[in-house]
Amino acid sequence: MKDGIRVQNVIVPCGADVIVPLALVYICYIITHGHLSPGGGFQGGVLVAAVVALIALGYGYEAASGTISFGLVHHGEGLASVVYVALALLGVACGAQFCENVLYRAGSVGDLYSSGTILWMNLTVGVKVFTGISSVSLLMLSVLQNADAEREGRK
Amino acid sequence: MILMNYIVSFFLLALGMYCIVTKYNLVKTVIGLSIMDYGVNLLIISIGFNPGGTAPIFTWGELTPSSFFVDPIPQALTLTSIVIGACVTAMSLALVMKLQESYGTLDTREIRRLRG
Amino acid sequence: MNWLNILSYRHFPIYAIMVLFLGAFLIVLFGRNRWARHILAFLSVASSLAFLIALVRPVMLGGEIIAYWMGGRVPAGGYAIGIALEVDALSLFFGLLIATAVFVACLYSFRYMEHDDNIPQYYTLFLMLAGGVLGLVLSGDLFNMFIMVEILTFAAVALTAFRNTANGALEAAFKYLVVGSIGSSCILAGTILLYAQVHTLNFAQLSALIPGGLNNATKVAFALLFVGFCTKAFLVPFHPLAADAHGAAPASISVLISGVLTKSGLYGIIRLVYFLFQSMGLGTIQFMLVFVGSVSMFVCVTMALAQHDFKRLLAFHSISQIGYVLSAAGLATALGISAGLYHAMNHTLFKGLLFLTAGAVLHKTGTTDLGKLGGLSKKMPHTTVLFLIGAASISGIPPFNGFASKWMIYQATYQKAVESGNIGFLLVTIIALITSVLTLASFVKVTQSVFFGRLPAAYENVTEVPFGMRFAMGIFAALCVVTGLFPDYVTRWLTEPAARAVFSVGQYINDMMGAGYAESVMGGLAPAQQTVSFVHVGVWSPVSWLLVLCIMLLAVTLAAVLGKYDRVSENAGEKVPGKYDLFFGGEESVYSQVGGGDLFWGFKHNWRHYFRFMYDLHSGVVNDYALWAVVALSLAVVFLQIVL
Repeated sequence: MKDGIRVQNVIVPCGADVIVPLALVYICYIITHGHLSPGGGFQGGVLVAAVVALIALGYGYEAASGTISFGLVHHGEGLASVVYVALALLGVACGAQFCENVLYRAGSVGDLYSSGTILWMNLTVGVKVFTGISSVSLLMLSVLQNADAEREGRK
Repeated sequence: MILMNYIVSFFLLALGMYCIVTKYNLVKTVIGLSIMDYGVNLLIISIGFNPGGTAPIFTWGELTPSSFFVDPIPQALTLTSIVIGACVTAMSLALVMKLQESYGTLDTREIRRLRG
Repeated sequence: MNWLNILSYRHFPIYAIMVLFLGAFLIVLFGRNRWARHILAFLSVASSLAFLIALVRPVMLGGEIIAYWMGGRVPAGGYAIGIALEVDALSLFFGLLIATAVFVACLYSFRYMEHDDNIPQYYTLFLMLAGGVLGLVLSGDLFNMFIMVEILTFAAVALTAFRNTANGALEAAFKYLVVGSIGSSCILAGTILLYAQVHTLNFAQLSALIPGGLNNATKVAFALLFVGFCTKAFLVPFHPLAADAHGAAPASISVLISGVLTKSGLYGIIRLVYFLFQSMGLGTIQFMLVFVGSVSMFVCVTMALAQHDFKRLLAFHSISQIGYVLSAAGLATALGISAGLYHAMNHTLFKGLLFLTAGAVLHKTGTTDLGKLGGLSKKMPHTTVLFLIGAASISGIPPFNGFASKWMIYQATYQKAVESGNIGFLLVTIIALITSVLTLASFVKVTQSVFFGRLPAAYENVTEVPFGMRFAMGIFAALCVVTGLFPDYVTRWLTEPAARAVFSVGQYINDMMGAGYAESVMGGLAPAQQTVSFVHVGVWSPVSWLLVLCIMLLAVTLAAVLGKYDRVSENAGEKVPGKYDLFFGGEESVYSQVGGGDLFWGFKHNWRHYFRFMYDLHSGVVNDYALWAVVALSLAVVFLQIVL
């Protein structure tokens, strides 16, 4: 990085403007259709990390942390985990084993609202992975931003 | 049963171990760890392959006793293993960042206050 | 809400694991408030321990094996299609041990971690570590065991680096992460090679199908799994990680790393050789386990003699005791397994107690360097008594628990040497005895350096640790004394059912996969159920030794209180200076503290080349430790290809 050269960041914010909404819709599709086609909570949640990184590259760390508030993400992660354990214990409460699919009569096979607890567990895992990965990405980006700010401040 | 996949996956395992043992930069050690994980992931996914099989996605009525599909269990194991590999990389990079701050160097031959 | 189903004891294993994870997640949500944190953590560990204690009656005393299929997916067509938990007496034995250690460490951390920041994250990681280890020992599925191994590795690494500014914490965590990940990748590679042979991951079905058809791939898988679990148990080529990690971690986490993580590695090794490959009938496999155990015993106790840091010394002793357990478990006799498991239990108790006292010393004085500490018994009397109980236990002094289990180990190795006519096992007995003597020497040195001697001026204001910490240490000390006084009850209720379970592979497989499966697939079962029969000879009965100890203490106390020595000069009002001092050659003697490095200097001088060689070998560079791991892996692969 040579001193005294300012780069006008135009291409990356424009690309982010176009790609981020499409990517978010696609990620929601992957997470909600986990029981019908390849994908599911895990995979969709990890793709969110790419979106967070894209926003940070295009608009800088302040915009990225302003978009996703860190406290909400932290508590959302805990809440999603607790809901997952509650769903798994639902099987025990209804007279069967742990983690059993006790709502299997809901809907018919091939619809979006079908396959009982698998759908809800998918959504919960999606939220948990999304919040977990984005909080890790934001923390690591904040360290880079501090290092950059230090270098700017020292100049 | 693809022989080339198996050879490459054990080669990646060996390459990752070689990287960890001989490179003296912390970031290269982390890269070696990741290469080992990718080698094992390749091994897992190649074991599930059945030549001529289709993807294991069926709706009601499509699944007959004569359908021949690839094994879905190794695919699930691979996904889990990829996420674990990503977590190992993230945690080790976080430790590398803090080590750089506190020791001022990334050379493993310098980071040896605990010895003997 | 079917209450009869919810409270049935079949669900208790999954409750014991889930209540720990649920506590961790709830602390993420409500962790800011101090009382919410403490209440949630206490409820989680207490209820987990309660669920496991409630399982003792059906599983240990009744001999039943709980096979729990998650999601209700019972085997179809003779094939296992679900993830299972299987709790037999061996799993429950380790589970009880783990739950007790976690409970006491949690009680201790309430007061110990008061002055740190980021405390909600500490409790979250602590409970996830506990949940991961409990999930490992109660699991009946090989990939599930791998996932739990990864959970506990991450939590342990993060907790080792918890106090970032402590000396060497980050470095220890990084080395642990690198070599631990090599071990985990080996476990995963071994699991996948086994899956490729029989397309199932269920432990019982693998135990039925694998031993019949051993080909090259399964032999490589055996080596990979064995080396992976040895990494988790910190046996010999991987022991420097233990030394670094225990020294840098907070004391309550050192208790968990030394008492709980190493036991999970040992559990994995026992399941691997006795159940999955059923290869303990071969003399060469017995040789491999006993060799690794004996080398760990001897190398680590000699490394411990040269240390200057209190917690690093305790860490090396910890690995040496794990070497005892592995040597006993590698004998493939019922007495050997029983002795090994008893010593594993005792090791968690007395090593936990010693690490907690080291933490108490660090909490109050701020250092663990043996050269700088001294004379703390005047200021911290309760801690001194608890430390002496722990040191007596680890050295094998009669009324405490170390004596009972070490005696059983000597007896087991000697009996094996006599039965099989192999002089090598007699060598193991001799090494075990020498290690015990060196352990006693090392703890005499530590006691003199830290608790007796002159108090340095810097520590004049040190007071006793808070009651919460002393209560937690007292629980461990009480358990040490109780398990030492009543070895017959411990053997009958805890270790003998577990040892019997190790040899009942047929029952393990049948309870999981349906009756008759083992016979139909394996074509004949291995001989099951050897019973343990031995008697404690009367003169070594621990209760009589406790009486002797109490009488001696009483006599010494009476002599000190009633004897009139030194009363005269104290009543004289003022001391005449210089009249009663010691003189050497006309000069007044100055007190010289026999510190950390000086007590056995003659012994260390004679062995100085060996100590210098070992010091240079443990260079502290992460590449060297990884090289040892790779060399161990290659040796294991080659050895097992030739032998099996």
